Amino acid sequence: MTVRQTLATLPRDARDSLFLLAVVAWVIAPLASMLPLWTSTLAGTVLLYRGWLAWTARPLPNPWLLRLLLVLTVLGVLLTHRTIVGREPGLTLIVALLTLKTLETRARRDALVIFFLGFFTLLSNFFYSQALPTAAAMLIALLGLLTALVNAHMPVGRPPLLQSLRTAATLALLGTPVMVALFVFFPRMAPLWGMPSDTLSGRSGLSGSMKVGSIAELALDERIALRLRFDNPDFVPPQSMLYFRGPVLSSFDGNEWQADPVRENSATTDRLGLPAQLTVQGEPLRYEVTLEAHQRPWLLLLEATRDKPEIPGMFVFMTQDLQWLTSRPITDLLRFRAESYPQHRHGPQADTPALRALTRLPRGSNPRTIDLARQMQDDPALAGGGTQALVDAALQRLRTGGYSYTLEPGVYGEHTADEFWFDRKEGFCEHIASSFVVLMRALGVPARIVTGYQGGERNPLDGYWTVRQSDAHAWAEVWMAERGWVRVDPTGSVAPGRVGQFQRLQAPRGALAQAVGTMMSPGMAQRLRSAWEAANNHWNQWVLNYTQSRQLDLLRALGFSSPDWQDLARILAGLLVAAAAAGGAWTLWERLQHDPWLRLLARARARLARAGLPCPDSTPPRTLAAQARAHFGPDAEAACAWLLRLEQWRYAPESTTRRQSLAQLRRDLRRLRWPAPHPSP
Amino acid sequence: MPALTIPHPLAAVRRRFERWWQARLPLTDTTVLTQRNVYILPTGAGWMLALTLLVLLVASINFQLNLGYLLTFLLAGSAAAGMHWCHATLRGLTMHLKPPEPHFLGQAATLEVQLASERRTPRHGVALAVHGSGRWAWTDVPAQGTATVQVAFTPPRRGLHRVPPLTAETRYPLGTFRVWTIWRPAAEALVYPAPEPGAPPLPPGEPRAGGTGSAPSHGLDEFEGVRAYRRGDPLQRVVWKKAAQALASGSDALVSRDAQQSQRHELWLDPALTGLADPEARLSRLTAWVLQADRLGLDYGLRLPGAEIAQGNGPAQRRRCLEALALC
Repeated sequence: MTVRQTLATLPRDARDSLFLLAVVAWVIAPLASMLPLWTSTLAGTVLLYRGWLAWTARPLPNPWLLRLLLVLTVLGVLLTHRTIVGREPGLTLIVALLTLKTLETRARRDALVIFFLGFFTLLSNFFYSQALPTAAAMLIALLGLLTALVNAHMPVGRPPLLQSLRTAATLALLGTPVMVALFVFFPRMAPLWGMPSDTLSGRSGLSGSMKVGSIAELALDERIALRLRFDNPDFVPPQSMLYFRGPVLSSFDGNEWQADPVRENSATTDRLGLPAQLTVQGEPLRYEVTLEAHQRPWLLLLEATRDKPEIPGMFVFMTQDLQWLTSRPITDLLRFRAESYPQHRHGPQADTPALRALTRLPRGSNPRTIDLARQMQDDPALAGGGTQALVDAALQRLRTGGYSYTLEPGVYGEHTADEFWFDRKEGFCEHIASSFVVLMRALGVPARIVTGYQGGERNPLDGYWTVRQSDAHAWAEVWMAERGWVRVDPTGSVAPGRVGQFQRLQAPRGALAQAVGTMMSPGMAQRLRSAWEAANNHWNQWVLNYTQSRQLDLLRALGFSSPDWQDLARILAGLLVAAAAAGGAWTLWERLQHDPWLRLLARARARLARAGLPCPDSTPPRTLAAQARAHFGPDAEAACAWLLRLEQWRYAPESTTRRQSLAQLRRDLRRLRWPAPHPSP
Repeated sequence: MPALTIPHPLAAVRRRFERWWQARLPLTDTTVLTQRNVYILPTGAGWMLALTLLVLLVASINFQLNLGYLLTFLLAGSAAAGMHWCHATLRGLTMHLKPPEPHFLGQAATLEVQLASERRTPRHGVALAVHGSGRWAWTDVPAQGTATVQVAFTPPRRGLHRVPPLTAETRYPLGTFRVWTIWRPAAEALVYPAPEPGAPPLPPGEPRAGGTGSAPSHGLDEFEGVRAYRRGDPLQRVVWKKAAQALASGSDALVSRDAQQSQRHELWLDPALTGLADPEARLSRLTAWVLQADRLGLDYGLRLPGAEIAQGNGPAQRRRCLEALALC
């Protein structure tokens, strides 16, 4: 017997159990990688075991085994997480409970418990991802759970699951307007109490320090870092303008660059006005950024932003090295507007003691680079050219010295700059920038590393620019007298393609991507990707980033002058009243729709009652006719004929003539001559 | 000292309320369920769902999960739609009780209820039970069709009984709401006394009034003079029990009752002949005798205080006698 035949002949209980198990597995599957290994293993084993029991119609295990497993699970959670409160332990516990519950239940009776536990598990998927595919998968899970529930409430026979699915889908469809109304108008509020501090432990893109090799990891990461839309959607800036400034790294210990500790002192920043001593020229670029949650406090803005972006609920400030920071890490998709001035100057115009700190190198590291610097300082061709000449010479060396750009530079040793300049001569942007800054500092020029993103890809469908983790970049800033800090991107000298063109260094593609690539033309793949990303972006803009401010914007658009959450509550109440009124009207209408034949008969009966012949409601037309004839004599002939016609058509088979005759009877009733009221004989 | 059981004060109030409520319901054998007589309340599962929704909402707020809001609201919307669906499953249904057949005390009577739906979609998971019995009979009512449900009901006494109030209920589709109706059918069910098990044989016949005056015969065997079947004997005269025995023993001779002999006596079933004191026990034995006599195809009559049923036989006589026994 094939599997399919066996499925079709399974007893109902077994079939329902298997279906419920499949739904539970579907809900849990995306969480498997987030859970401790033992929990995933336990869940998988229990589900498979339960499925086998259902398939082979074996009895459920002893309840004591179940209790033992439950105790072991709680112990396991305690051992793994040291607590059972909090999100991670809670999730572990709920997944274990959900799967263990399947061992205890007969599918129909206890579907309810699994259903409710299933919903918590379903929601917990959103802790890790709220992307479109997750939403689609969880919609399927929701329909699956609803189907199981509907199926559990059909006790008769062995109804096909497809029927329950149809009912569940109809319910969800009917519930959609409610969902939309509540989603749009339910007042968004701040968390009711403090959230557990175990923030998302995913990868987070840029970090506050740069070890040589850390950005190369990001080169393989196609996740989106941020999206951006210029107010003028047709404006396509040159790629060289798209430097998104992130952490600025100033101190170097020989192998790792560190950012200066940030002084979160709003008083100082306010008093100093623009601590970065930024002066701008020309018209700013105005744009809107949608920043993915990256668990760090920095905003990534185009260079250089003078005015503070308005972000409700967050304190935003600028540091001396022109970074924009927020008072707390960005744990949610964040959208804000900003203005950037591509033409700008910043930093002190004259040398200061603070700048001297930025020429410091750890003693004893990179001796050959320091020798190189000494040679360059002694070079008469460079003497008198100032800092600019030194920078040019270093860039010239990068261009012509046989240096190359690679994603797989291998592992660098202790003296990274020496290795780059003299031995390997290949590296990724961070190697190049780091070696360049070390050389500059050795030359006595204040220099530092800036990390962030460079470039981006414009989606022609909606005009949004997408910046990915693989666009992460590191470049250098060199201080020059009277010019302040000047951006120098040494990677551009090694690999002009990296900067200034749309092409990026492509990471080696996986087998699947390669297969897709051979089947589709690059243009088509690009178009598909554009469409997908446009959809994803709409999802982000309209669903994930629907915040309180957008809610209030919507109210403003609806005509509220100064909306607050009470207006939202009022709108919700209004919608509720409207829905109730519509329901009442519908009920009334439905009552009127009640059998038109009976209504017609009731009218005739009422007419006869007025003429002096009251009859009970249940009198059929023929009896009514006979009584009328007996009561009124020949006066009632017309009415009797009408009643008999009504009876004849009332029980005729359904047809067009029947419907027409109904209309005809109705017309005739109005014209009918009724007997005059007179006392009964 | 016997323990005093003090009834819960609220329970008494509740019972009173129920009685009052049921007394208001019209008595009818056919009822159409409308907005007015269909009630709805959340079930335990419904409250659980409400709690789940609350927790999901708090989680969505605390973790600022917009997708969590969507999930919560979609679930809430589905539950609201489920509530209307549940109500619509009963609303518009027509229930009709078929006149119940008489039956003997101690046997469960089956009430046959026909559920008719004019809707274009089927109604699933409709349950019917005698109000308060908790023994549900489930059915699905097909689209624009009818379904028949049989509900068992065991009356406590013989006699004519009003059919107890019936409850129809559904929790379809989500089980979060219970929708029910209470219906008082107008029909009455007749309950015959329970026939006494292992009742003694029929009493001796009485000599026909104005008969030959021969001595009254004693006992069934004597009364029941039998002879071999003769062509032309009506089938009613065949003693089937004996015929079956005869067939079993190999001779295919049918056995007929000797009309000559039986015509001389009349079988009267009289409470006095039962030799019992308890009136109900007497009725019970009389019932058993009526059945016995009917099985044997005898002519018999019944004398009860205040009523006498003349000699006769056949189903009509049987019914007359049993009704008299039930109602006396």
